[in-house]
Amino acid sequence: MNDLLPIIAQHGYLLLAAVCFAEAVGLPVPGAIAILTAGAVAAYGKLHFYSVFGWAVAAMLVGDIILYFIGRLSGWALLGFLCRLSASPETCILRSAEYFYRRGKQTLLFAKFIPGINTMSPPLAGSMKMQVNAFLLFDTLGAALYVGAYSAVGYVFSDALRAITRGLRSAGFAAEVVFGVGLGVYAIYRIWMYRKYKLLDMVPRVPVAELARRLAADANRSILIADVRSHGYYDSESQRIAGSIRIEPNNLEEEIKNLPKDREIYLYCT
Amino acid sequence: MQQQFKVFVIEGGLRAWRKAGNPLESVPHDDIIKLPSFA
Repeated sequence: MNDLLPIIAQHGYLLLAAVCFAEAVGLPVPGAIAILTAGAVAAYGKLHFYSVFGWAVAAMLVGDIILYFIGRLSGWALLGFLCRLSASPETCILRSAEYFYRRGKQTLLFAKFIPGINTMSPPLAGSMKMQVNAFLLFDTLGAALYVGAYSAVGYVFSDALRAITRGLRSAGFAAEVVFGVGLGVYAIYRIWMYRKYKLLDMVPRVPVAELARRLAADANRSILIADVRSHGYYDSESQRIAGSIRIEPNNLEEEIKNLPKDREIYLYCT
Repeated sequence: MQQQFKVFVIEGGLRAWRKAGNPLESVPHDDIIKLPSFA
């Protein structure tokens, strides 16, 4: 991390902007440390403090605006995708949407300080059709707060930067350990789920052409097509296979009671 | 489920169905869950 000091002093604003942009769009780069270091470099007179602030905020805003419009265009698909990791995707989506609806503007102010939330907030604001002006206002304030805090600390404590970055390196190492353990636990969970549902491999697969042929010959209407996507329909433009019904996979024990036993059931997801 | 029902899985899911040009339908309004929106 100490190596960042000469690198930022040499490549200056463009490198800072690139790191801030990358962090804003969710790439795992040390944006906070880059801003902190740029603040310290500004204290040594190699960069201008206000330019550091301006470049970093602008780069973050560009990344956030891109994510905002991706959310706006993709509707709820992005949140649905992210909630697929949750034990109950439906609950995850409903709670996240409800929470952001109640506290979305305040969340944008402090989201940058919370890994994960910082990347989720702009597309969520887009998905929930937050007005562009309101988004820009609160996101700019949030970015200014974040960049201002780290660059000011770097500027004021430039002499102690090595000690600070050493501390951050320790914190970073601890975070890596926590992340690694979390990843290991998640891998074990996936293996357990895979083994648990391996039985489902016995369920026969039917190509769409074959199903279409069977449907065409199904005079007795003995075929039932069921949509078992992990979450429900949130967009008014949602589409599904013609004539299919929705089965909530997280509530299978209840859903199964209403299924006819005398029909062939064809399941599909995305 | 498989023991009580005659179940199949559609290979490739909705994506393959759509790609093959088979019929789709809009989800009925009653089935759409209204999530909060700033709009």
